[in-house]
Amino acid sequence: MEKYMNPDKRTSMAEAINQYVNDGESFVYANCLTGMPLALTHELIRSGKKNLTLFHQCGIEEIDLLTEARVINRLVTAYNFRLGGKRTVSPLDRALKEQYLQIEEMSNLTLLSMMKAGAMGYSFMPVLSGIRMTDFVKRNGFLGKQRFGEVIDPFTSQKQLVVKGYNPDFALMHVQRADKAGNGQLWGAMFNSKWAALAAKKIILTCEKIVDEEVIKSSPHLTIAPGYKVCAVIECPWGAHPSELAGHYDNDFPFRALLFASLGSPASIKTWMDEWIYGIKSRDEYIKHYSEKLGSESLNSLRAKSSPSVPADYGNAFSLDWDAKGYNCNLDMNMAQFIKFLDEKGALLEN
Amino acid sequence: MTIKYTKDELIVYCASLEIKDGEMVVIGQGIPMAAGVLARKMHAPNSVIITEAGIVGLEPFKVPLHIADMSATHGYTYGCDMMDAFTCIANHGYADVAFLGVGQMDKYGNVNSSYIGDPDHFEIRMMGAGGAPEFAGYSMRTVFTMSGGQFVNKLDYFTSPGYLEGGDSRYKAGMPVGSGPSVVITPDGVFKFDAVTKEIYLSSIHPGVDLENIKTKVPWKLKVSNNLVTTKLPSEEALQIIRNFAPSITMGRKLQIECNVNRIFKMLAKASEQNKNKI
Repeated sequence: MEKYMNPDKRTSMAEAINQYVNDGESFVYANCLTGMPLALTHELIRSGKKNLTLFHQCGIEEIDLLTEARVINRLVTAYNFRLGGKRTVSPLDRALKEQYLQIEEMSNLTLLSMMKAGAMGYSFMPVLSGIRMTDFVKRNGFLGKQRFGEVIDPFTSQKQLVVKGYNPDFALMHVQRADKAGNGQLWGAMFNSKWAALAAKKIILTCEKIVDEEVIKSSPHLTIAPGYKVCAVIECPWGAHPSELAGHYDNDFPFRALLFASLGSPASIKTWMDEWIYGIKSRDEYIKHYSEKLGSESLNSLRAKSSPSVPADYGNAFSLDWDAKGYNCNLDMNMAQFIKFLDEKGALLEN
Repeated sequence: MTIKYTKDELIVYCASLEIKDGEMVVIGQGIPMAAGVLARKMHAPNSVIITEAGIVGLEPFKVPLHIADMSATHGYTYGCDMMDAFTCIANHGYADVAFLGVGQMDKYGNVNSSYIGDPDHFEIRMMGAGGAPEFAGYSMRTVFTMSGGQFVNKLDYFTSPGYLEGGDSRYKAGMPVGSGPSVVITPDGVFKFDAVTKEIYLSSIHPGVDLENIKTKVPWKLKVSNNLVTTKLPSEEALQIIRNFAPSITMGRKLQIECNVNRIFKMLAKASEQNKNKI
């Protein structure tokens, strides 16, 4: 585990990836299906990092993009959405057939339990034993036997299926808001976010908006990425597009359909990636290109209408020990009387 | 009076009837979500819809594209997370029914949603396990909706447990006693499982479907109920609810793709026209 106590971790996405990501490392997405850190994903692809191992609960497009770019060569996952239909031969399919990517199949619970055990600092944790006869338990991929084990429950003497805890080198995460120290707040579907973020040794965080620390402090229950684990924070509006984010924007189905229509052949996905990833420097440029290509009306139609949560009231009596006049009603003394009292009782020490 | 309905509307309707009032129902995207909403609006107003994303008590205002899109994540009663959904909810038996999809199914309701063909040299890689294994294993009932899947003698990949080898083998393996697949709904009919042997049998047949044709799609000698009935059709009211809530489900996958392609072409053409006008 790593610890980052710098009070201001604002940087650029390119710098964050350059500084905190090394070839051959492992990482986890601390979002799943929704609110995905896709701007960060595009930056990771542009960075040219290689041979990463990805732990990912459920993918929509990011697995195919990272595979096509040869950023990842090992994948631990439970699910990859196929909008192109099951007959489409996707980049992931090609990579598995041509063996430049190795896969480890898990279920959502068992993969998330690997993260939760890692997050809690345990070497393993129990999962639901009834599924032990399935092929994702029995057939080992590149992790070999470093996934499932069986122990005897000391209290019931029953056999208990367990998974090994993992701590990926870093997490990529997108949230609605964060302060400059990286305390990140997320709301909406919580999915895997807590355990994936806490399992990783560090978190690279993007947010729709950097806010004052006071905003974070007013709703601490929303903080999911604790600042001490966050090595870099980057403000990035539309950072999860084309996925959706509560309070900001909806899922962009037509845009995704254009991508999925391109997955079938190496040439067409290359054209898509040249246009939307390699030919673009930043998310601002990406959004500008989007408005030109698909119309700013299309973009605007995705924007969220406000529907705020009723604020949690953290109020209290705010009773002070010393009032404005320096009087303490609990002690019935002012400061001079308090010092005299301590002295008389022999509580004040002299050197 | 003749009622006109689509193939997928009938599946949604049949699926909705599997939800009883007051039940907690684990639902994914698509047809099952439309069924859950229909049940709540018709006969099960106090049922609670749960998604694996940790959303409990949701009331989507349109059919979600996936289990955590913006129509699913507004106005729900309990926001927990995926870990809680499997452990604090399903593992304690709070999940009365789970709705799951099927790639391949064998005669005891075991399911493959991972690979078609030898997994090491697969023909097709499907979406994968997701939450299906544990929800199939630990929900009290599992309802399968099967639009493109197939029945097979042996699964190419064993993703989710049904009744294993039949009889009480499922319970001996440690899954909750009394739990298991209850119904499989296909474009042809509704299948159930024998109370003792746990083998699947045809329970009702959709109007206009030929029994012999169903049998050719099953590679073993399919058992048929002695009381085989014709599937009850949705009422006008039910159809209206489905069409208002989920027109994309009503029209089915093929027409949905056609409409979306048209929509995207219009969008691109309009933007390109606007760009020309700027110049």
